[in-house]
Amino acid sequence: MKKTSTIILRDKKYEVKAGSTLRVALRRLEILPESVICVRDGELITEDNILQEGETIKLVSVISGG
Amino acid sequence: MKCKKCGGKAVINMRQHNMGLCKDDFLQWLPEQTQKHIEKQKMFTFDEKILVAVSGGKDSLALWDMLNILGYQADGLYIALGIDEGISYSSESQRLTEEFASARDLNLHVVNMTSDYGIDLPTLAKETKRGRDKPCSSCGLVKRHEMNRIARDFGYDVLATGHNLDDEAATLFSNTLQWNGDYLIRQHPVLAERDGLARKVKPLFRFYEREMAAYTLLRGIEYIYEECPFAEGSTSTQYKELLNQLEHEHPGAKIHFFTKFLSAKKKGLFAEPTTEIVPELHICPSCGQPTSALKLCTFCRMMEKSSS
Repeated sequence: MKKTSTIILRDKKYEVKAGSTLRVALRRLEILPESVICVRDGELITEDNILQEGETIKLVSVISGG
Repeated sequence: MKCKKCGGKAVINMRQHNMGLCKDDFLQWLPEQTQKHIEKQKMFTFDEKILVAVSGGKDSLALWDMLNILGYQADGLYIALGIDEGISYSSESQRLTEEFASARDLNLHVVNMTSDYGIDLPTLAKETKRGRDKPCSSCGLVKRHEMNRIARDFGYDVLATGHNLDDEAATLFSNTLQWNGDYLIRQHPVLAERDGLARKVKPLFRFYEREMAAYTLLRGIEYIYEECPFAEGSTSTQYKELLNQLEHEHPGAKIHFFTKFLSAKKKGLFAEPTTEIVPELHICPSCGQPTSALKLCTFCRMMEKSSS
Protein backbone atom coordinates (compact mmCIF):
# COMPACT_ATOMS: atom_id res chain seq x y z
CA MET A 1 0.00 0.00 0.00
CA LYS A 2 1.25 3.48 -0.91
CA LYS A 3 2.59 5.53 2.00
CA THR A 4 1.08 9.00 2.05
CA SER A 5 0.88 12.25 4.00
CA THR A 6 -1.89 14.84 3.88
CA ILE A 7 -1.49 18.51 3.01
CA ILE A 8 -4.34 20.92 3.73
CA LEU A 9 -4.66 24.39 2.20
CA ARG A 10 -7.87 26.29 3.06
CA ASP A 11 -10.68 23.86 2.20
CA LYS A 12 -8.56 21.62 -0.04
CA LYS A 13 -6.97 18.38 1.02
CA TYR A 14 -4.16 16.70 -0.91
CA GLU A 15 -2.73 13.20 -0.48
CA VAL A 16 1.00 13.23 -1.27
CA LYS A 17 3.73 10.64 -1.22
CA ALA A 18 5.47 10.36 2.15
CA GLY A 19 9.25 10.18 2.32
CA SER A 20 10.06 13.21 0.18
CA THR A 21 10.57 16.75 1.40
CA LEU A 22 7.78 19.23 1.84
CA ARG A 23 9.46 21.36 -0.83
CA VAL A 24 9.10 18.58 -3.39
CA ALA A 25 5.46 18.01 -2.41
CA LEU A 26 4.68 21.71 -2.78
CA ARG A 27 6.32 21.76 -6.21
CA ARG A 28 4.21 18.80 -7.32
CA LEU A 29 1.07 20.55 -6.08
CA GLU A 30 2.21 23.77 -7.83
CA ILE A 31 2.07 25.71 -4.57
CA LEU A 32 4.73 28.38 -4.16
CA PRO A 33 6.52 28.11 -0.78
CA GLU A 34 6.62 31.93 -0.84
CA SER A 35 2.83 32.09 -0.55
CA VAL A 36 2.37 29.80 2.47
CA ILE A 37 3.76 28.86 5.85
CA CYS A 38 3.76 25.21 6.84
CA VAL A 39 2.45 23.94 10.16
CA ARG A 40 2.83 20.45 11.65
CA ASP A 41 1.07 19.72 14.95
CA GLY A 42 0.78 23.45 15.61
CA GLU A 43 4.51 24.05 15.00
CA LEU A 44 6.00 25.95 12.06
CA ILE A 45 8.34 23.89 9.91
CA THR A 46 10.64 24.66 6.98
CA GLU A 47 10.26 23.09 3.55
CA ASP A 48 13.27 20.79 3.92
CA ASN A 49 11.34 18.61 6.42
CA ILE A 50 10.64 15.10 5.22
CA LEU A 51 7.00 14.09 5.11
CA GLN A 52 6.23 11.20 7.42
CA GLU A 53 3.64 8.57 6.65
CA GLY A 54 0.17 9.42 7.94
CA GLU A 55 0.99 12.94 9.12
CA THR A 56 -0.94 16.08 8.19
CA ILE A 57 0.66 19.39 7.23
CA LYS A 58 -1.49 22.49 7.32
CA LEU A 59 -0.55 25.30 4.94
CA VAL A 60 -1.43 28.83 5.98
CA SER A 61 -1.92 31.15 3.03
CA VAL A 62 -0.09 34.41 3.65
CA ILE A 63 -1.35 36.60 0.81
CA SER A 64 -4.00 39.16 1.66
CA GLY A 65 -5.41 41.49 -0.93
CA GLY A 66 -7.30 44.75 -1.02
CA MET B 1 17.35 23.52 8.41
CA LYS B 2 19.34 25.06 11.25
CA CYS B 3 18.90 28.42 12.92
CA LYS B 4 21.65 30.77 11.74
CA LYS B 5 22.00 32.24 15.22
CA CYS B 6 21.89 29.29 17.62
CA GLY B 7 22.11 26.17 15.44
CA GLY B 8 18.73 24.90 16.71
CA LYS B 9 15.87 23.81 14.49
CA ALA B 10 14.71 26.61 12.17
CA VAL B 11 11.00 27.34 11.88
CA ILE B 12 11.33 29.81 9.01
CA ASN B 13 13.62 30.07 6.02
CA MET B 14 14.11 33.61 4.72
CA ARG B 15 15.83 32.95 1.42
CA GLN B 16 16.21 36.67 0.63
CA HIS B 17 18.50 36.94 3.68
CA ASN B 18 19.98 33.46 3.23
CA MET B 19 18.91 32.85 6.81
CA GLY B 20 16.79 30.38 8.74
CA LEU B 21 15.79 31.13 12.35
CA CYS B 22 14.33 29.17 15.25
CA LYS B 23 11.21 30.40 17.05
CA ASP B 24 13.00 32.29 19.83
CA ASP B 25 15.53 33.95 17.54
CA PHE B 26 12.89 34.89 14.96
CA LEU B 27 10.68 36.44 17.68
CA GLN B 28 13.67 38.46 18.82
CA TRP B 29 14.94 39.34 15.34
CA LEU B 30 11.69 40.76 13.94
CA PRO B 31 11.06 43.43 16.64
CA GLU B 32 14.79 44.31 16.62
CA GLN B 33 14.70 44.86 12.88
CA THR B 34 11.48 46.85 13.21
CA GLN B 35 13.14 49.10 15.78
CA LYS B 36 16.16 49.51 13.49
CA HIS B 37 13.98 50.66 10.57
CA ILE B 38 11.88 52.95 12.79
CA GLU B 39 15.11 54.70 13.81
CA LYS B 40 16.76 54.66 10.40
CA GLN B 41 13.71 56.16 8.69
CA LYS B 42 13.07 58.55 11.63
CA MET B 43 9.47 57.34 11.86
CA PHE B 44 8.79 58.27 15.50
CA THR B 45 10.33 58.40 18.96
CA PHE B 46 9.38 56.93 22.33
CA ASP B 47 8.00 60.34 23.37
CA GLU B 48 5.47 60.48 20.57
CA LYS B 49 1.88 59.20 20.58
CA ILE B 50 1.21 56.64 17.86
CA LEU B 51 -2.14 55.64 16.40
CA VAL B 52 -2.02 52.19 14.80
CA ALA B 53 -4.67 51.46 12.16
CA VAL B 54 -5.80 47.93 13.05
CA SER B 55 -7.96 45.80 10.77
CA GLY B 56 -7.92 42.52 12.68
CA GLY B 57 -5.57 41.09 10.05
CA LYS B 58 -2.14 39.62 10.72
CA ASP B 59 -0.02 42.63 9.76
CA SER B 60 -1.69 45.36 11.78
CA LEU B 61 -2.09 43.17 14.88
CA ALA B 62 1.57 42.10 14.61
CA LEU B 63 2.62 45.73 14.28
CA TRP B 64 0.61 46.78 17.32
CA ASP B 65 2.03 43.83 19.26
CA MET B 66 5.63 44.74 18.36
CA LEU B 67 5.23 48.44 19.13
CA ASN B 68 3.83 47.44 22.50
CA ILE B 69 6.77 45.07 23.12
CA LEU B 70 9.25 47.74 22.07
CA GLY B 71 7.74 50.15 24.61
CA TYR B 72 6.04 52.69 22.34
CA GLN B 73 2.87 54.59 23.28
CA ALA B 74 0.67 52.99 20.65
CA ASP B 75 -3.12 53.06 20.65
CA GLY B 76 -5.28 51.30 18.07
CA LEU B 77 -7.99 52.42 15.69
CA TYR B 78 -10.51 49.97 14.27
CA ILE B 79 -12.96 51.09 11.58
CA ALA B 80 -16.11 48.94 11.51
CA LEU B 81 -17.18 49.02 7.87
CA GLY B 82 -20.17 46.68 8.14
CA ILE B 83 -18.92 44.13 5.59
CA ASP B 84 -20.93 41.26 6.98
CA GLU B 85 -22.63 39.67 4.02
CA GLY B 86 -22.12 35.93 4.23
CA ILE B 87 -19.05 35.52 6.43
CA SER B 88 -19.42 38.24 9.12
CA TYR B 89 -16.09 39.66 8.02
CA SER B 90 -16.29 42.99 9.86
CA SER B 91 -17.90 41.74 13.05
CA GLU B 92 -15.36 38.92 13.35
CA SER B 93 -12.36 41.18 12.68
CA GLN B 94 -13.72 43.68 15.25
CA ARG B 95 -14.12 40.90 17.82
CA LEU B 96 -10.53 39.74 17.27
CA THR B 97 -9.18 43.29 17.48
CA GLU B 98 -11.11 44.04 20.68
CA GLU B 99 -9.96 40.79 22.26
CA PHE B 100 -6.36 41.54 21.31
CA ALA B 101 -6.56 45.02 22.87
CA SER B 102 -8.36 43.83 25.97
CA ALA B 103 -5.89 40.97 26.62
CA ARG B 104 -2.99 43.47 26.57
CA ASP B 105 -4.83 46.36 28.22
CA LEU B 106 -4.34 48.56 25.14
CA ASN B 107 -6.46 51.56 24.21
CA LEU B 108 -8.61 51.03 21.11
CA HIS B 109 -10.72 53.62 19.26
CA VAL B 110 -13.61 52.19 17.26
CA VAL B 111 -15.30 54.09 14.43
CA ASN B 112 -18.56 52.50 13.33
CA MET B 113 -19.75 53.55 9.88
CA THR B 114 -23.35 52.55 10.50
CA SER B 115 -23.77 54.26 13.87
CA ASP B 116 -21.45 57.23 13.18
CA TYR B 117 -22.47 57.95 9.58
CA GLY B 118 -25.73 56.04 9.15
CA ILE B 119 -24.46 53.88 6.30
CA ASP B 120 -22.26 50.82 5.97
CA LEU B 121 -19.51 50.46 3.37
CA PRO B 122 -21.27 47.99 1.02
CA THR B 123 -24.33 50.29 0.83
CA LEU B 124 -22.16 53.37 0.42
CA ALA B 125 -20.26 51.69 -2.41
CA LYS B 126 -23.47 50.70 -4.19
CA GLU B 127 -24.94 54.18 -3.92
CA THR B 128 -21.97 56.13 -5.23
CA LYS B 129 -20.31 56.20 -8.63
CA ARG B 130 -16.86 55.84 -7.06
CA GLY B 131 -17.66 52.55 -5.36
CA ARG B 132 -20.24 50.95 -7.64
CA ASP B 133 -17.75 48.80 -9.53
CA LYS B 134 -14.92 48.97 -7.05
CA PRO B 135 -15.89 49.12 -3.36
CA CYS B 136 -12.18 49.01 -2.41
CA SER B 137 -11.89 52.57 -3.71
CA SER B 138 -14.64 53.81 -1.35
CA CYS B 139 -13.16 51.73 1.46
CA GLY B 140 -9.72 53.30 1.02
CA LEU B 141 -11.21 56.77 1.00
CA VAL B 142 -13.24 56.13 4.17
CA LYS B 143 -10.22 54.67 5.96
CA ARG B 144 -7.87 57.54 5.01
CA HIS B 145 -10.44 60.12 6.10
CA GLU B 146 -11.26 58.45 9.42
CA MET B 147 -7.64 57.63 10.29
CA ASN B 148 -6.65 61.25 9.81
CA ARG B 149 -9.70 62.51 11.72
CA ILE B 150 -9.03 60.35 14.78
CA ALA B 151 -5.29 61.14 14.69
CA ARG B 152 -6.08 64.87 14.60
CA ASP B 153 -8.99 64.89 17.09
CA PHE B 154 -7.08 62.88 19.71
CA GLY B 155 -3.71 64.57 19.25
CA TYR B 156 -1.65 61.67 17.88
CA ASP B 157 1.76 62.56 16.46
CA VAL B 158 1.84 59.81 13.90
CA LEU B 159 -0.36 57.28 12.16
CA ALA B 160 1.13 53.80 11.64
CA THR B 161 -0.20 51.19 9.24
CA GLY B 162 0.72 47.51 8.84
CA HIS B 163 1.73 47.61 5.17
CA ASN B 164 4.40 44.98 4.56
CA LEU B 165 6.94 44.65 1.77
CA ASP B 166 4.61 42.57 -0.41
CA ASP B 167 1.99 45.33 -0.17
CA GLU B 168 4.57 47.95 -1.11
CA ALA B 169 6.08 45.89 -3.93
CA ALA B 170 2.61 45.16 -5.39
CA THR B 171 1.71 48.86 -5.24
CA LEU B 172 5.00 49.81 -6.85
CA PHE B 173 4.48 47.17 -9.54
CA SER B 174 0.99 48.51 -10.27
CA ASN B 175 2.11 52.13 -10.37
CA THR B 176 5.08 51.28 -12.58
CA LEU B 177 2.96 49.29 -15.03
CA GLN B 178 0.84 52.41 -15.45
CA TRP B 179 3.72 54.88 -15.03
CA ASN B 180 1.62 56.57 -12.42
CA GLY B 181 4.10 59.32 -11.62
CA ASP B 182 2.12 61.16 -8.97
CA TYR B 183 1.65 57.95 -6.96
CA LEU B 184 5.25 56.85 -7.48
CA ILE B 185 6.54 60.13 -6.13
CA ARG B 186 4.45 59.77 -2.96
CA GLN B 187 5.21 56.10 -2.24
CA HIS B 188 7.49 55.99 0.79
CA PRO B 189 7.51 54.33 4.23
CA VAL B 190 7.36 57.80 5.83
CA LEU B 191 5.09 60.61 4.68
CA ALA B 192 5.74 63.81 6.60
CA GLU B 193 2.96 65.71 8.36
CA ARG B 194 1.55 68.37 6.08
CA ASP B 195 -1.20 70.99 6.35
CA GLY B 196 -3.45 69.02 8.70
CA LEU B 197 -2.51 65.60 7.35
CA ALA B 198 -0.94 63.43 10.04
CA ARG B 199 2.50 61.90 9.51
CA LYS B 200 2.06 58.40 8.12
CA VAL B 201 4.53 55.57 8.61
CA LYS B 202 4.82 51.91 7.60
CA PRO B 203 7.19 50.23 10.07
CA LEU B 204 6.79 46.76 8.45
CA PHE B 205 7.86 47.91 4.98
CA ARG B 206 10.95 45.66 4.97
CA PHE B 207 9.21 42.42 5.96
CA TYR B 208 7.66 39.85 3.67
CA GLU B 209 4.01 39.02 4.22
CA ARG B 210 5.12 35.46 5.01
CA GLU B 211 7.24 36.68 7.92
CA MET B 212 4.32 38.60 9.36
CA ALA B 213 2.09 35.51 9.15
CA ALA B 214 4.82 33.48 10.87
CA TYR B 215 5.16 36.12 13.59
CA THR B 216 1.43 36.17 14.43
CA LEU B 217 1.32 32.38 14.48
CA LEU B 218 4.40 32.06 16.68
CA ARG B 219 3.10 34.75 19.04
CA GLY B 220 -0.28 33.04 19.25
CA ILE B 221 -2.11 36.09 17.90
CA GLU B 222 -5.52 35.21 16.50
CA TYR B 223 -6.30 37.18 13.35
CA ILE B 224 -8.94 37.21 10.64
CA TYR B 225 -7.76 34.61 8.16
CA GLU B 226 -10.60 34.99 5.70
CA GLU B 227 -10.12 37.44 2.88
CA CYS B 228 -12.34 40.52 2.67
CA PRO B 229 -15.09 39.38 0.23
CA PHE B 230 -14.49 42.52 -1.86
CA ALA B 231 -10.75 41.85 -2.16
CA GLU B 232 -11.08 38.33 -3.59
CA GLY B 233 -9.38 38.16 -6.97
CA SER B 234 -8.18 41.75 -6.64
CA THR B 235 -5.44 43.09 -8.88
CA SER B 236 -3.12 43.58 -5.91
CA THR B 237 -3.47 39.87 -5.05
CA GLN B 238 -2.63 38.95 -8.65
CA TYR B 239 0.44 41.18 -8.55
CA LYS B 240 1.55 39.61 -5.27
CA GLU B 241 1.28 36.15 -6.82
CA LEU B 242 3.30 37.26 -9.83
CA LEU B 243 5.97 38.77 -7.62
CA ASN B 244 6.10 35.57 -5.55
CA GLN B 245 6.78 33.57 -8.72
CA LEU B 246 9.66 35.90 -9.43
CA GLU B 247 10.83 35.63 -5.82
CA HIS B 248 10.75 31.85 -6.05
CA GLU B 249 13.18 31.90 -8.99
CA HIS B 250 15.23 34.83 -7.71
CA PRO B 251 15.23 35.09 -3.89
CA GLY B 252 15.36 38.74 -2.88
CA ALA B 253 13.64 40.01 -6.03
CA LYS B 254 10.79 41.65 -4.09
CA ILE B 255 12.93 43.37 -1.50
CA HIS B 256 15.36 44.61 -4.16
CA PHE B 257 12.53 45.88 -6.32
CA PHE B 258 11.20 48.07 -3.53
CA THR B 259 14.35 49.11 -1.67
CA LYS B 260 16.22 49.96 -4.87
CA PHE B 261 13.25 52.09 -5.89
CA LEU B 262 13.62 53.99 -2.59
CA SER B 263 17.37 54.38 -3.18
CA ALA B 264 16.82 55.60 -6.74
CA LYS B 265 14.29 58.14 -5.48
CA LYS B 266 16.77 59.35 -2.89
CA LYS B 267 19.38 59.79 -5.62
CA GLY B 268 16.98 61.95 -7.62
CA LEU B 269 15.15 59.58 -9.96
CA PHE B 270 12.21 61.93 -9.72
CA ALA B 271 12.22 65.70 -10.03
CA GLU B 272 10.87 67.77 -7.16
CA PRO B 273 7.08 67.47 -7.20
CA THR B 274 5.23 70.35 -8.77
CA THR B 275 1.94 71.66 -7.38
CA GLU B 276 0.27 69.80 -10.23
CA ILE B 277 1.42 66.54 -8.67
CA VAL B 278 1.22 67.53 -5.01
CA PRO B 279 -1.56 70.11 -4.99
CA GLU B 280 -2.13 72.81 -2.42
CA LEU B 281 -4.47 71.80 0.37
CA HIS B 282 -7.57 73.64 1.56
CA ILE B 283 -9.89 73.03 4.48
CA CYS B 284 -13.13 71.16 3.78
CA PRO B 285 -16.00 73.39 5.00
CA SER B 286 -17.95 70.35 6.20
CA CYS B 287 -15.48 68.14 8.12
CA GLY B 288 -12.55 70.55 8.55
CA GLN B 289 -10.04 68.11 7.09
CA PRO B 290 -7.46 69.09 4.46
CA THR B 291 -8.39 68.50 0.84
CA SER B 292 -7.05 69.38 -2.60
CA ALA B 293 -10.62 70.27 -3.64
CA LEU B 294 -11.70 73.89 -3.39
CA LYS B 295 -15.05 72.99 -1.78
CA LEU B 296 -16.12 69.76 -0.07
CA CYS B 297 -13.52 67.02 0.30
CA THR B 298 -13.97 63.74 -1.59
CA PHE B 299 -15.23 61.95 1.54
CA CYS B 300 -17.91 64.56 2.27
CA ARG B 301 -18.94 64.64 -1.41
CA MET B 302 -19.32 60.88 -1.36
CA MET B 303 -21.40 60.96 1.85
CA GLU B 304 -23.55 63.78 0.43
CA LYS B 305 -24.24 61.81 -2.77
CA SER B 306 -25.15 58.69 -0.83
CA SER B 307 -27.73 60.55 1.25
CA SER B 308 -29.31 62.35 -1.72
